[in-house]
Amino acid sequence: MNTSIYGKKMKKISVMFILMALWLLSSIAWAATHTISISAVQLPNGQYGYKLNNHTSSDGTVPNYPAEAVIPGPTLFVKQGDQVTVQLRNETNIKVGFNVPGLVNGNAVSANPGQTKSYILNTQHTGTYPYFDKESQLLGLFGAIVVDDMSGQVQSFVDGNGKITAVNRSQLDKEFVMFMVGSTFWGAEISRDGTQKPLWTNPTLGAVMDNLVRFHVLSVGMAHTFHLHAHRWINPAANPNTATAEDIIDVHLMKNPHDSHVFTIKAGTGVGPGIWQYHCHLVSHMESGMNGKFLVVAADSGDPGNSIAGASPSGAIFLNASDDPGLVSFIISDEPGSWFRSARGDALSPVTFTKSLEVIPPGSSVHFIMSDTHGVHTITSLLWPSEAGNNNHPGGDHFMIPFDQTKAYRGGGIVQLNVPGLYVFTCKVHPYMFGAVIVDSPGTAGLDLGNTIDLVSGIKNLPTSSDLATRLLRTFFVATTQGNWQDYTATTPWHVNYPNVPVETNLGTLNLKDVLEARYGQDITLPVVTAPATPGVGEVWINTQFEKTAGKTKPGTITVLDTTNWTLKRKIALPKINMNNPHNIWPNRDHTIMYQTQWFDTKLTLIDQKTGKLIKNLQVGDTPSHVMTLPNSDDITVAINGENGVVIIPAGTTEVNYMMPTQHHGQVPANPHGHWVSADGSRIITPNINTSDTGIYNADTGQIVSRTQTGNGQPGPHPIAIGMMPDSSKIYASNLLHHSLSVLDGNNGALLKTINLIENYNPITGDITGPVGVLPIQTPVSPDGKAVVLAATGGQILIVDTKTDSIVKMLACDPGCHGANFGAKQGGGYYAYVTSKFSNRLIVVDIDPNNDGDISDADIVGSISMVAGNNVAKDDTISSLAGYGGQGIVALPNVYNGWVQNLTSEWTSGLTSSQRNPVQ
Amino acid sequence: MKKKPEYEFQSSSCHVVLKDSIKLKLASWFVLVSMLLGLGGVTSALAGNIHQIKMVAEEMDPTGNLGLYAYRMMQHQVADENGNTVDLSGNYSAVATIPGPTIVMSEGDVAEIELIHQFNPDNPKQEHVSLHVHGVHYDKESDGTLKYINLYKDESATPVLSYSYRWIAAPGTSGTWAYHDHNMNSHNGAEDRGLFGALIVNPASGFLLQDINGTGSGSASLSQIQKEFVLYIGDDAFWGMEINNANGAQTALGVNPNLNAQRNSDIRIHLIALGTNFHQFELPSYTWIDPGTRRRISAKAIGPLEKHVFAINASHSASYLDTAFSSKLLGMKGQLVVD
Repeated sequence: MNTSIYGKKMKKISVMFILMALWLLSSIAWAATHTISISAVQLPNGQYGYKLNNHTSSDGTVPNYPAEAVIPGPTLFVKQGDQVTVQLRNETNIKVGFNVPGLVNGNAVSANPGQTKSYILNTQHTGTYPYFDKESQLLGLFGAIVVDDMSGQVQSFVDGNGKITAVNRSQLDKEFVMFMVGSTFWGAEISRDGTQKPLWTNPTLGAVMDNLVRFHVLSVGMAHTFHLHAHRWINPAANPNTATAEDIIDVHLMKNPHDSHVFTIKAGTGVGPGIWQYHCHLVSHMESGMNGKFLVVAADSGDPGNSIAGASPSGAIFLNASDDPGLVSFIISDEPGSWFRSARGDALSPVTFTKSLEVIPPGSSVHFIMSDTHGVHTITSLLWPSEAGNNNHPGGDHFMIPFDQTKAYRGGGIVQLNVPGLYVFTCKVHPYMFGAVIVDSPGTAGLDLGNTIDLVSGIKNLPTSSDLATRLLRTFFVATTQGNWQDYTATTPWHVNYPNVPVETNLGTLNLKDVLEARYGQDITLPVVTAPATPGVGEVWINTQFEKTAGKTKPGTITVLDTTNWTLKRKIALPKINMNNPHNIWPNRDHTIMYQTQWFDTKLTLIDQKTGKLIKNLQVGDTPSHVMTLPNSDDITVAINGENGVVIIPAGTTEVNYMMPTQHHGQVPANPHGHWVSADGSRIITPNINTSDTGIYNADTGQIVSRTQTGNGQPGPHPIAIGMMPDSSKIYASNLLHHSLSVLDGNNGALLKTINLIENYNPITGDITGPVGVLPIQTPVSPDGKAVVLAATGGQILIVDTKTDSIVKMLACDPGCHGANFGAKQGGGYYAYVTSKFSNRLIVVDIDPNNDGDISDADIVGSISMVAGNNVAKDDTISSLAGYGGQGIVALPNVYNGWVQNLTSEWTSGLTSSQRNPVQ
Repeated sequence: MKKKPEYEFQSSSCHVVLKDSIKLKLASWFVLVSMLLGLGGVTSALAGNIHQIKMVAEEMDPTGNLGLYAYRMMQHQVADENGNTVDLSGNYSAVATIPGPTIVMSEGDVAEIELIHQFNPDNPKQEHVSLHVHGVHYDKESDGTLKYINLYKDESATPVLSYSYRWIAAPGTSGTWAYHDHNMNSHNGAEDRGLFGALIVNPASGFLLQDINGTGSGSASLSQIQKEFVLYIGDDAFWGMEINNANGAQTALGVNPNLNAQRNSDIRIHLIALGTNFHQFELPSYTWIDPGTRRRISAKAIGPLEKHVFAINASHSASYLDTAFSSKLLGMKGQLVVD
């Protein structure tokens, strides 16, 4: 018995052993060993790519790879169970890794410049996987690894008769790898014989009718939905053997932070030959150029149905001659000055002085990627050669000028520029972000600025030699070059560096530097910084939004000024939360908490007023700009500049669960920026930058009371900030790009007056015959209702008399003049505190120095350096751009009508009786 | 009277299928019987109905300057291959709605759709308007795109000329699909300003693609579904359309609507997203099957122009909502009201 049982067992075990051995043998027979050597290299436009150096395989199946570095990187084809070693040689000057979620374990180590690292891939599961570098993936360091089934079976296709049909890889006519990155497709083709061809950006994918084509759609970074016209395929979640009609799709979500979607189609089945668009189906991405063509030619047409590559980082751009269309890349960044940073900006800036200027020949393209920002943006033409707006270039996919998107978003953009001349791009949400491209025809001596430009604000055919055109150019060179900002701590005069290059204008060849210096001066001596003679009351909190500190990657501090002795009290950087571009600030009722927006981020930050310490960091939505309290309830209102409403947070809570919409459902998002609140807290007034109107909303019900178009019907006036009379009877709305101040009825929004702020400016000659305010921003009304103080980013402060609603005074401000708010002056009266982005001082304006009630003597009575000495308390070490980026500002005590009445005695003690009761 | 979803005639060489959309519309057995008699000799395996449709694209409340647009059904007639015609025009709203009319076809049907431009002819942004449809077959005449995309022609209705599209609900195209403008406003279309609607292609089998509540053997009949709810998920609201299968009547439900269903009735919900935002749709306390899987779910991530269709038995009232961050703040939710 025992023996026989033992024998049976042995028999079983022996059989199992033999089966296992056979299985092992069979897998040894099938599994191949691959050694793949790739390099990471920098491409001519500053982007990065992977290059295949060598691929040896024990089964001899080595594709024919491109000889150059490509985006996407070489597609690595292996089979399930293969042993794969990848050796990465880093030939760039940045750290580069090789991450393959699902195939390489966790945090694979990166290779330092010059180093080689090895990675062993786990190929247990079939599928197509993205490989990428975690830091620089959005700049081109990505590619695909395809792990196919050993049998060669690939994704089934849906035939024209509805039949779901199995496919073996050997049946495929071609394969496409299509990466969705930012707002651009990056493609490669793998032909039947394994030859890989780079197709670069938004290519035309070619096929012959009834070709079997496998698509490997992948993504890194932002999410997308992939759509191909007139074709259907099988949901990858479904088992192809049991797939049913329910599993047939024609759109698929590509999830953040990386995703992969593989399917096979039979080209043109059921629909016939044609040019079928593929695109991302996010409206913002469609608008920013994320599309291309799938060309299906008839079988008997004689046309081989070849693919056509798109613009390439190795193609024709300035300093890189090529017969192929080229591509320059701008990185959209939270970094001050370099908001549109050319990927090769470091190489160009010794000549251009800015990292935000690129030069390409006609027909090449510009690519944008929001890879260094936490905010949402648009990529919008600010100006362009007049002729380019005709868009008479049929056949392209993405050449429409002006380039624009309906609303702010995450992603990127791509646009082909065909007409020589000057193009400037901006972000509608952050309208001082600038990137410029000169499309230079090779036949001309100088760089082509073109004869005339059109502006987004409706100005047409403006000569490039005009004062307005060169003034805009100067603004560009000041804003985008940190070294060109005004430094009030410097002992040398203010010097602005311009490219010393010949340019072609409507007046022929001119030297750019000579023209700008002749028109706007050079080595200008700046005024001496001296504090006002009369102290203020309390503190001023200033957003020095560009000041950088050692403990964080994002810029921005809060500078706290003690106005009783005009000394800096504190710098708050909040390194713990990497506070990002703090833009606007407001206190709660008892001034214990300061509310701070992070304009290139998603957060509202609560800060302890006494200690400057972080209380809480709240997610409120994309790109929050301004914050105010409702005086009656102390509820917090936050304008969500990148979205479509105002978030309202009940006082005493940190509950973010309601956004008051600024438009009706389905309408274009208003993207409100610098709102104001009526003195009784019943109305919220928003300047709707995206819809060119000022909105009044009922703060209790959220109902739209009125929306009034401003800017006299001109396109894109860009209302940006609101001020209000202390009795809430009138609204002052500044229109940034229309250079005007709209006066509206505070109750019903009726337009009372539009004050033209550039009436005294001749845009051709530059003659200025009276006060002007170029690019007006903040526009608060003094708490006593006498004066509007308007900060214009062109470098002016305007004083508007509210009795007549006319300009009574122009004062000189600094470049990027931006923020203004009122605080109490000791002994009575008010100071307007005015900030500038591109200088490091705060200007103090006394609206009525002799206190006679007549504001026509309003004047600058002093200024304060925003640069902190060693003795000033700090929560981080200032590392660069000390004191720069002055934007939002608020004075404590908050002396505006409605708020001043609710102050605690701690804060009212320094105020006169009329300051406590501004409306009598 | 409930109608059977399917009538099959097995002959020596073929079977003939009479399509649902017309079946649902037939007013009496007399019509039906006469049609069936008429079909006796047909041998084509793909006998389908022909939908003759006229739609208008126009501005919503032009005086209110809303900046919203919409499609309106002018006429929808369905003819079988013998020329017997049923007029469905009365099922639709007399005014333009968001979403636009839901067009219901069956596998094998063909739709010929004439789109008429009724915008301000002087507005260059409104010069073109089109219908681009997902899912079904069409040739290069009917892509609904501009010439710079298709390198063929502007497939738009313009102030001067209407445009006709031909959609073929071929086998394998059953499901719910979006149609939308591709040409207006900019070169990308005004699909997010109201110019969207749904096309439901019912399977020739007469059976639902979905299990009710995600249970059962996949044999639920289309005729069980009392109401269809099309819920478009926009960037700032749900937009609803209800179809009462008892009489075919369509009702636009507006934004973040209540969905009213009879207790224990079977309903089908057709989600389609559009715009730029991503969504997390949730209907807690109900479950259904995630297509392609055996997973029972109560929530689904959905991106622009994806579709997600499920059928449930309306047993109790519940809230549906979108839990994506900004959607939640904007109050994107509504009630499934069961009584």
